[in-house]
Amino acid sequence: MKKFIVLITASMLALTMLSGCGSSADNASGEASAPAESVNVAIAQFAPHGSLDNCVEGFKLGMEEAGYVEGENVTYDLQNAQADMANANQIAQSMAAAKPDLICGVATPMAQACYNVANGEIPVIYTAVTDPVAAELANEDGSSVGNVTGTSDKLAIDAQLEMIRKFMPDAKKIGILYTTSEANSVSAIEEYKELAPNYDFEIVDSGISQTSDIPLAAADLASKVDCISNLTDNTVVSSLATLLDAADKAGIPVFGSEIEQVEKGCVATEGLDYIALGKQTGAMAARVLAGEKAQDIPYETITEYSLYINSKALEALNMSCPDELKSEAAEVSAEE
Amino acid sequence: MALLLSVFEQGFIYSILALGIYITYKILDFPDLSVDSSFPLGAAVSAVMIKAGINPYITLPAAFLAGGMAGLATGIIHVKFKVRDLLSGIITMTMLYSINLHITGGQANIPIFSDDTIFKLSPLRDKAGAFNTVIVIFVITLLCKIIMDLYLNTKSGYLLRAVGDNETVVTSLAKDKGTVKIVGLIIANALVALAGSVMCQQQRFFDISMGTGTIVIGLASVIIGTNVFGKFSFLKATTAVIIGSVIYKACVAIAITCGMAAIDMKLITGALFLVILIISSVKKGGAD
Amino acid sequence: MIKLSNINKIYNSGTINETCLFTDFNFEVKKDDFISIIGSNGSGKTSMLNIICGSIPIDSGDIVINGNSISKLKDFQRSRTIGRVYQNPAMGTCSSMTILENMSLADNKGRLFGLTRGTNKKRIDHYKELLSQLGLGLEDKLGVKVGLLSGGQRQALALLMSVMTPVDILILDEHTAALDPKTAEIIMELTDKVVREKQLTTIMVTHNLRYALEYGNRLVMMHEGNVIMDLNAEEKKNADVDDILKIFNRISLEKGNSL
Repeated sequence: MKKFIVLITASMLALTMLSGCGSSADNASGEASAPAESVNVAIAQFAPHGSLDNCVEGFKLGMEEAGYVEGENVTYDLQNAQADMANANQIAQSMAAAKPDLICGVATPMAQACYNVANGEIPVIYTAVTDPVAAELANEDGSSVGNVTGTSDKLAIDAQLEMIRKFMPDAKKIGILYTTSEANSVSAIEEYKELAPNYDFEIVDSGISQTSDIPLAAADLASKVDCISNLTDNTVVSSLATLLDAADKAGIPVFGSEIEQVEKGCVATEGLDYIALGKQTGAMAARVLAGEKAQDIPYETITEYSLYINSKALEALNMSCPDELKSEAAEVSAEE
Repeated sequence: MALLLSVFEQGFIYSILALGIYITYKILDFPDLSVDSSFPLGAAVSAVMIKAGINPYITLPAAFLAGGMAGLATGIIHVKFKVRDLLSGIITMTMLYSINLHITGGQANIPIFSDDTIFKLSPLRDKAGAFNTVIVIFVITLLCKIIMDLYLNTKSGYLLRAVGDNETVVTSLAKDKGTVKIVGLIIANALVALAGSVMCQQQRFFDISMGTGTIVIGLASVIIGTNVFGKFSFLKATTAVIIGSVIYKACVAIAITCGMAAIDMKLITGALFLVILIISSVKKGGAD
Repeated sequence: MIKLSNINKIYNSGTINETCLFTDFNFEVKKDDFISIIGSNGSGKTSMLNIICGSIPIDSGDIVINGNSISKLKDFQRSRTIGRVYQNPAMGTCSSMTILENMSLADNKGRLFGLTRGTNKKRIDHYKELLSQLGLGLEDKLGVKVGLLSGGQRQALALLMSVMTPVDILILDEHTAALDPKTAEIIMELTDKVVREKQLTTIMVTHNLRYALEYGNRLVMMHEGNVIMDLNAEEKKNADVDDILKIFNRISLEKGNSL
């Protein structure tokens, strides 16, 4: 009986391995038809997450626009650390060991892990790093610290506050829910607090440590404030529905910080489009692959923020888009 | 080659942690979950001290001591307040999360790319080249192993082994079994925090989330080590645990490099782990 | 030597399973007594041992050893002057440690367990000598893990360990019950020898009426938390197994136990 179980397990494992390795074999045959000067690019993503997925998608699009077409002259090795630091490290190391032409690190801890293992020998392009200076991937003046550069998904906090003021002329308190373990959120909160007085707002922040804290924290926060502004906090974004629900019950709007959040039910954002951010990153990667040195390219932030609104969500709260913003606002169709 | 090197680097770092978990899980029979937070605790202490310009080698004993304090907390909660073992670990783990953030001044991520680390200051740096990191880690691991072997053969070490084996014997020796357990938890968490310190300096940044799943890696290493290699009587249990940790990291490396879809990684790691356990129990020739 | 006075102990107090074991229980042990205690299951024999050793708390009353009250002391603090051997041979030794390590542990009782070497090499010959007196060949197996020994060997080792350092009182909790008759005989003889040599005050709980009569200088029968028979050395000599058995059967039947 025991041997039987072993046999089954072993064969199952072998099958999984075969099917897994099989797909890479397909890639290999695809490569054969591509031009000889094909490049290998490793993409290390920190966590399975909508925005980060968009970054990767955008990255490939950006590369494609610059002439690097997947399956033709570029092979991607995409790994996801499933939000586990121990994995992140080992993925970075195994990628570096394979000596690809370029490594793309998605999200701060992954970018740091990649930069660490690349050892200056392999160029590293990062994206979705909110504060490259705090992460020690860039110097104060924006120049690179080594063979590494990329894009920041720093929020347009000033623009966001200005927009909220236009939507809600009488609001006083803005609530923000964030995870204390996410460096990006912590620095965003600081900036919010710094800029809020300029628009006569007071920031009420509520820190959580895990998903299960969200329902209570969200309900508590919603009862204390006039509106909520949502960050790109990974944990909170994953449970956005819970936050929206709490705000709905309190009858207050939630402003998002990227287009996806508006699709999911936030009223509006002066914010990020991660696909565009990924594209910008892909274009930078293409420059490096074409011969430019990563250390000569300063990191970039998203060049243009734009206003996205969700009319349905606005109507539900008896709100509307202020006339002065109507011309620039793009309607986002809500997901149901 | 570079991949092999990374398996050994990671394996040796986590084997320091596994030595600690060997004390709690195998010797004390205490499922100690506080390690998920004492690992980043060691890293936080080291990162903050390194940022303050303190010699990175001094951060190692500092992290060790900090971890010991965490173990003391778990021990006191369990022994003095009579909270169940699993729960006392969870309580310490939860509270440490906040304390870790206090240590870092609220920062969830501290990079130390431009600062000195034990690897940068290693005397072998120029001679050993790519092997520098793995050699430094190996020396620290080896020291931990030797000291632990020596300790387990002292009178205090005997008592520690006795308390996990048979508490009644410790009581009849007129010793408080609770105190002995606390000592064990202190040593275990100190080792875990030391591993966190080395990890933080190897990856050159601290991140508050770096402790997630630590207990799983540690337990897997201990179980692989003691089940598969514990049978060889010429191998000390501590050596077996170190090998177990390297094997576990090799499993993860295989899962990563095999090239299957990224979402399947944990599935494959788990399956490899299972296969190792099944093979080892078949070799034993019994269903015990 | 040992004096239990006005002991009250109720199990599961306040629940439907509440059982009152001892009400105002008194018992005295003189120095150098070797008492055999018999009684049916639930009569309170083992509970009394546990109360003396501090393994279970009492509700009220006082326990005095050598004139000092020990009621407030924890179990491990009381162990300093008490050696104990349990029914289960596994209880008195550490199975994952070797015979030598177990002996070294026992040898260090009452002293500091610090960072010095666990086994004192100079004591090994002494350990071998002690073990050879058992006549079980254990002196040649110092490096063997105790878990690999037979029940009888483990029990002999446990007995040896419990009296390795000077103790005043030896508590034997049915310590031959889990052994085969031949091994039990060996352990019993060994026990008697140790008690005589070291002049220990001994309390032995047993189910074996023959041992109870043969060994010791006092025989006590317990029933439902009371002493119902207490024979001194003289009376014991004149009693025989059948007499005791008659009384034993009667109380067992009263309790509704089938024989």
